[in-house]
Amino acid sequence: MDGIGNGPRILLEFNLFGLHVSITQTVLSSFIVMVVLLILSWRLGKGLEKRPTRRQVLVEKGVSILYNLVEDTMGKHNSHFTPFIGALFCSSVLGTLISLFGGVFRSATADLSTTITWALIVTVMVWYHNIKRNGFFGWLKGFTEPVAVMTPMNIMSEIAQPISMSFRHFGNIAGGGVLTTMIYGALAAGSSLILSWIPNEIIRSIPFLQVGIPAFLSIYFDLFTGFIQALVFCMLTMVYVGAACPPPEETAA
Amino acid sequence: MDFLTGFESFVGVNPWTCLFTLCNLLILYKFMKKLLFKPVKNMIDSRQQEIDDLYADANASKEAAAELKSQYEARLTEANAEKEAILKDAYRKAQLRDEEMLREAQEKAAQTLRRADEQIALEKKRAMNDIKDEVSVMAVDIASAVLARDVKKSEHAALIDSFIENLGESHD
Repeated sequence: MDGIGNGPRILLEFNLFGLHVSITQTVLSSFIVMVVLLILSWRLGKGLEKRPTRRQVLVEKGVSILYNLVEDTMGKHNSHFTPFIGALFCSSVLGTLISLFGGVFRSATADLSTTITWALIVTVMVWYHNIKRNGFFGWLKGFTEPVAVMTPMNIMSEIAQPISMSFRHFGNIAGGGVLTTMIYGALAAGSSLILSWIPNEIIRSIPFLQVGIPAFLSIYFDLFTGFIQALVFCMLTMVYVGAACPPPEETAA
Repeated sequence: MDFLTGFESFVGVNPWTCLFTLCNLLILYKFMKKLLFKPVKNMIDSRQQEIDDLYADANASKEAAAELKSQYEARLTEANAEKEAILKDAYRKAQLRDEEMLREAQEKAAQTLRRADEQIALEKKRAMNDIKDEVSVMAVDIASAVLARDVKKSEHAALIDSFIENLGESHD
C-alpha cells in the first residue's frame, strides 16, 4: 500500500554550494512533460502551408479553439495571453496524465509545489498588470475599495486566491491518486478473499479483480479530472488576469 | 549525493520543485509561443487575409461586370431608339417622295393632257381654216358658175369670208 499519504518520492539529494537540493518525482515528470511538449510544438509548428495537411488542420483547429477561448473570456485585446494559457493548459493536462504511464512517473500536479507555483505566477501577473495600469499606490488603494472597511477582506481574498486555486488543482489530482491506490488495495484484498479456498499459495495471491476495473475509474480520476482541473485552472487564470487587463477604452475613461 | 532517500510530505512545498516548475513553465511558454502559436496563428491570419482579399476581388469584379452590363444595356436601348428613329425618318421620307412622285406624275399627265387639248384645238382651228378656204373657193366657183359672169373674185371672197366667219362663230 505504498503511496497513500506519501508525497512525491525524492529521487536525488545533494548539496550545492551549501544549499540542500532535493530532486523529486515531480521535477522529473514536469521536465519530461516540458520536453515532450517542446518536441510536439516543434514538430507540429514547422512546415506550415497555405493549403494545410490533415495534421495541420487539426493543429490549427486546436490553436484557434484556444485563441477563441481566450478572446471570449479575456477580450480581443488580451489575445496575446493565449500562448501562456496554452502552455499552462498543456502542462497541466500532461502533468496529470503522465501518471498513467506508471512506474517512476507521478502526476506533477499531484504535488502542491507545482500548483502553488502556477497560482503564484497568476497572482504576480495580476499584480503586475494592476500596478502597470494604476501605479503602485493606485494598486494599494484598490484594496480599500469599495469602502475602507473592506480592506482586510480584500487582502484576505487576494491571499486566498492563489491558495484556493492551487489547492483545488492539487487536491483533485492527488485525491484521485490516493483513491485509485486505495481501490487497488481493496480490489487486491477482495480477490484474495474470493480465492481463499484455493490451496495453492501463488494462485491465491493473484489480484484478478485489479484487471479492468481500475481502468474505468482511471477514466474518471485521471482523464476527466485531469482535463476539468486544467480547464478550471486556466479559466480562473483568464478571469483573474483578464480582470486586471480591461479593454483599452475602459482604461482611458 | 544520495539516491531515493524517501518521500516528501503529502501536502508540502519544496522550493526546488517550485523553482524547476517555474523554469519549465517559462521555457515552455517561450518556446511554445515561438514554435507553435506564433507560426500557426500567422498562418491562419494570412490565410484569412488571402480569403478576404479574394472575396473582395471577386466582389469588385462582380460589381464592375454589373456596371458594364448596365452600360451595355443602356447603349442597347439607345441604339434601339436610334434605329427606330432612323426607320421612322426613312419611312417618312419615302412617303414624302412617294407623294411627290405621284404629284409630279399627275402634274405631268395633266400637262400632257393639256398640251394634247391645245394641239387638238390648234388642229381643229387649222382644219376649220382649211375648210373655210376651200368652201370660199368652192362658193366662188359655184357662184361664178351660177352667175356665169365675171364676178370680181376678191369682192366675193371677202363677202364669203365674212359670212363664214359669222358661221364659224355661231359654230364654236
